[in-house]
Formats: sequence, C-alpha cells, structure tokens
Amino acid sequence: MASANSAEAAPGAAGSADGPQYLPSSVQGAVKILVTGPFGVGKTTLVGSLSEITPLRTEETMTAASSGVDDLTGRGGKTTTTVALDFGRITLNPRLALYLFGTPGQQRFWPLWDDLSRGALGAIAMVDLRRPDESFDVLGRLEEQRIPFAVAVNTFPDTPSYPEEELRTALDLLPDVPILFCDARDRRQSYDLLIDFVDHLHRNSILELQG
Amino acid sequence: MSGPVRPYVITGGRSRSTRPELALESLVSALPEPPELPEHVLLNREHRRILGLCHSLLSIAEVAAHLGLPLGVVKVLVGDLWDLGAVQVLPPVPQAERLPTTLLEEVLVGLRQLR
Repeated sequence: MASANSAEAAPGAAGSADGPQYLPSSVQGAVKILVTGPFGVGKTTLVGSLSEITPLRTEETMTAASSGVDDLTGRGGKTTTTVALDFGRITLNPRLALYLFGTPGQQRFWPLWDDLSRGALGAIAMVDLRRPDESFDVLGRLEEQRIPFAVAVNTFPDTPSYPEEELRTALDLLPDVPILFCDARDRRQSYDLLIDFVDHLHRNSILELQG
Repeated sequence: MSGPVRPYVITGGRSRSTRPELALESLVSALPEPPELPEHVLLNREHRRILGLCHSLLSIAEVAAHLGLPLGVVKVLVGDLWDLGAVQVLPPVPQAERLPTTLLEEVLVGLRQLR
C-alpha cells in the first residue's frame, strides 16, 4: 500500500473534529476543478488557501495489474494502491458550489483519472520550478485527455525565475496554455490564480461560441 | 477505514455502483420522510451511517471523508440508497443543459465576490 500526498500539509482526517459543514439547502448542484501536479508540489496547500472548509482527505483504492505500473508490493501480480485525494469547497452563490480536488499527477494513478476528471471544468497543473521534470507526466496527460488547463508555478522562496517564453519552451506548452504564478500559502494570490484560470476558460468558451 | 473489515465486504463484494453517473461532486441528502423499505431490504451499518450523516446536503467526497470510507464504496452504498428512494441526489451541474459560458460566468462572478 502506498499513499500519495501523505507528506503534504495535513488535511482534516476522516471524521474531523469539526464535523461536517453542510451546504445550504438552496444549492442545486456542484462543479469541480482539479488541482494536480507531482507529489509535494503544494496541491493541498493551494486547496487549503481557497477552501471555505478545512480541507478533507478521502481515499480511493486502485487495483491494477502491476505490469507497466510501479510495482509497489514487490510481489508482482496485482498491486493495490491507495490514492489520497485532498479536497476543499467554495459555495459560489446560494445555488452553486465548487469543489477543488487535489489529484495526484503521477502516471501510476492514470487508471483513476477518467473517473476523477469526468465533468471537470478544467485543471490547474502545479509546477515546482526546482524540479519541473516531475510535471511532464501530468502535462502530457491533460493534453491527451483534452482537459482545459493552466500551469500554476508555485513560487517557493527559492524558486528560480525564468522569462515566460523560456518556461513555455521548457515545459513544451502550447501558446494558449496560461502560465500563472502564485504562492499557494497566500489566500489572495490563490484566489487571483483561480479567478485568472476561470476567466481564461470563460474567454475560451466565448471564442468557441463565436467559432 | 472503519475497523478491520475490508472495504468491499461492506458492499457485498460490489465495486461498481448501480448509478455510474455518481461523481465525487454529486450532492446527496437523505429524504426527510424516507419511504418504507420492502421487507427483504436490509440496510447495513454503513448505509445507516450515510443516512445519519446526510440530513443536509454533502458531496459524495465529503461523505467518504467524514465516514472514513473509500470513494468507490460510498458510490456503491449511495447508489443503493438512491435505488431505494431513501436519498435524493443532485447530479453534477449538467453542462449540456447550461451553456458552459453561462456556467463559467457564474463561477467567475462568485469567485470575484469572495476574493
């Protein structure tokens, strides 16, 4: 058994002391955005900065034949991996809620991706510029699945700075993928990031309508 | 996890919900006046915990987190309760019925107000 994200900022454990915070009964539905990226990039931190509830952790078990994926047990045959998903919530208005799901971006979790990403408005792919290569898997996956996404560079204190064009080339991003910057610990910056991303999705959807 | 029982024992070995449309963000609440269940229907402890928790709206993901059950198990159990008419489920906002542009605008306006 392996648990992704276990070393990231601790979210509320199952059945947290806070107890459930219910949505207003006027809410008619929910949408979701994925927050993805490699282990330790700051997904849970970003979700926590944005969420109105203490981030929660839930788990999904994934059984896969071990050929072609990391063999986590060393025993061959089938492997069972527990994938931890940390998530948060924003009640946008009395009718609509937004969920933010921290989704591990390593290749061995692909079997879960179809289910997790179904219906998502889009994905924020977090990148740590001290180890950008760890994001290549997930960027490729988002492109393949045609999930609208933006790259969010989590600006750690020692994050090197590069001109945007250099980053775009290094990450092999198409011109229409926004590169955004944010200190995920900062609520205001995190909100600006999310707003910029949704604004990008909105503008694209208008362009498609005009298509 | 809830004790030593392996997760899929709780679902009678089922790993797929009868309701494939259930998503992480589907919202569920117990009906205030649940229907009388047929005699042959036996709800297990986890079904009852879900009904107890969901007296108001929560997502499937929140139910799983608060009860310490894997998402797949919760989808199966909520599917059972839905089939029995014991819960109501609000599906994820159906994007086909609302122009994504309108929906994205609503999300944007909400976020800007909360910023």
